[in-house]
Amino acid sequence: MFQLLNTFLIGITAGSIYSLMAISMVLVWRSTRVVNFAQAGLAMLSTYFGYEIIHRFDSYWIALPVAMIAGALVAAGIELIFMRLLLKHSSQGAIASIAPIIATLGLLGLIKSIIGYFWGNQDVIIESPLSNVGFTIGTQTLALSPMKTFIIAAVVFMVLVLTFIFQRTNLGLALRASAYAPEISRLAGIKVDLVRTVGWALAGAAGGAAGMLQTANGNGALSPDSLEFSLLLAFGFIAAVIGGLDSLIGAVIGALLLGLVLAFVLTYVGGSLVFITAFVLLLVVLLIRPGGLISQKAGRRA
Amino acid sequence: MHKLKATNATRLLGFILLGLFLFYLSNTVDELRVYQGATVAMYVIAISSIILLTGYSGQVSLGHGALLAIGGYGAALVRNNFNAPIWIAFIAAILLAAFWGALLGATAARLSGPYLAGTTLALAVGLPSIANQFKFLGGEQGLIFDIGLPPAWLGQTFSQYKWFFWIAALTALIAMWWLQNLLRSGYGRTWRAVRTQSVAAELAGINIARSKILAFTLSAGLAGLAGAVLSMTISTVSPGAFPLSLSFALATGAVLSGVTTLGGVIIGSVTLVAIPEIADVVAHQVGASENATTNLPGLMVSGLLIVAVLFVPNGPVEQLKKKRSK
Repeated sequence: MFQLLNTFLIGITAGSIYSLMAISMVLVWRSTRVVNFAQAGLAMLSTYFGYEIIHRFDSYWIALPVAMIAGALVAAGIELIFMRLLLKHSSQGAIASIAPIIATLGLLGLIKSIIGYFWGNQDVIIESPLSNVGFTIGTQTLALSPMKTFIIAAVVFMVLVLTFIFQRTNLGLALRASAYAPEISRLAGIKVDLVRTVGWALAGAAGGAAGMLQTANGNGALSPDSLEFSLLLAFGFIAAVIGGLDSLIGAVIGALLLGLVLAFVLTYVGGSLVFITAFVLLLVVLLIRPGGLISQKAGRRA
Repeated sequence: MHKLKATNATRLLGFILLGLFLFYLSNTVDELRVYQGATVAMYVIAISSIILLTGYSGQVSLGHGALLAIGGYGAALVRNNFNAPIWIAFIAAILLAAFWGALLGATAARLSGPYLAGTTLALAVGLPSIANQFKFLGGEQGLIFDIGLPPAWLGQTFSQYKWFFWIAALTALIAMWWLQNLLRSGYGRTWRAVRTQSVAAELAGINIARSKILAFTLSAGLAGLAGAVLSMTISTVSPGAFPLSLSFALATGAVLSGVTTLGGVIIGSVTLVAIPEIADVVAHQVGASENATTNLPGLMVSGLLIVAVLFVPNGPVEQLKKKRSK
């Protein structure tokens, strides 16, 4: 019984971090119709900025918002300089379908080498700001530590803020409109290009938060070749696709589902099958509902 | 009809002449270059499998490294357990990878663009952890893949690397010859039709799913062959030999070659082998720090990839053709 509860808590914590990554992929997909494989690199770069702040000022609480802002700025810069050029240049021929994918992969490699150049390829450590030792009930240790509580609370807060932006502000209306019908939005006077950049910036901030939280949740080690970030990318993508790539709520649901399923497999079946499970889950969802669990349209044309 | 046969014959002759030239060349350059030549041949096979898949049938795979691994393991298992000759090990690699490719292709045919890219990417990320699970795959260390010494009739001075190169180059030449014939056949035309106008192709009676699955299967077979060649040149097969960066390198090579031009494949392959070398020279020239030296090759590959996608998206060969026709 206790094990069940702990597994559930581990799944929720992992799932909430995946949901930030999934949200950042959904935001980019909605604004540009590109799956941004460089998102893991962006998250990593933001986390390194955070590390630098921790190094200088010795505070995780300053580092977290700084990493998010840095992520937003870098992502906006990439959209402004790079993606616009790309979509203008390679829009015809066999390459058109794969150019954005390949280009974001190139960016991922570029960001990794830049990180390696400035910070080296060895691990750097981000100490967890709160205790990672679980609360105890009687003699049992709960898989919920102050740090994990903070992670879940922070993710819930960010999702609420994003929902508020999307549902209650003019900016959110513009974001939704230009994702849904860019041509009509343009006619209605929305600056679609600007809105697209904002979408990328929000995605960058979410990615930065995901990187900072993931690193503090794990063993704190951070390196450009870190497997954690490859997994964050793969699981974030799988979660986003399970949710439907188009829906923020879908991304959160997909991520929590993935986190829970993986946690239960890890506890009750064994660590060896975690990745295969994620992969099979992705395939099953794609085969049954090609548009994801929460799909607005009947069919996908893209 | 007569003319077609003649061109086929001349192309075959061209391949044979190219082969003879390569074998002559392998006697005149030093050991390191011969070894790099074998790597180039491996990349030629691997990249052309991506060209077949992406440039012709319009599917994306970011996980070809996983298929290379399947081929490498298949070859090593057959070689080690049955003491099979090298060419049987290679055929086993092709068949095994093609089998998995067919399974993957059956799912892939239902996915498009980014979905397919992400799914294959997930496969490439997860593969090493899968390979670590099974005892008979040797875990982290992997398996030994020893093809033995070169036959005695080649003489005492004939080196192991040259033997690798001969095998790799011959394999690559045969694979290229087969592939370019295939792409010129009805299959090649069908794939291009499906890629460019899938609705029209369907109306013309082409079974789109079947055509895509076939392309995926054949591409996987080629990738498996490349994996066997790769394992041969490093004499082992282990999860670490097929990192995510290998899959990305192959995608890079395909873009640099031009995804629709099989002839450009040599450009991508040579570039991939040359970049670490060039980066090394550059780093030594400027006397850079250790951080710079280790990261320069990655920086150059990614930078080149981005420049290529932005400015010569359809590859250098296609770009030249366009210029000439203007």
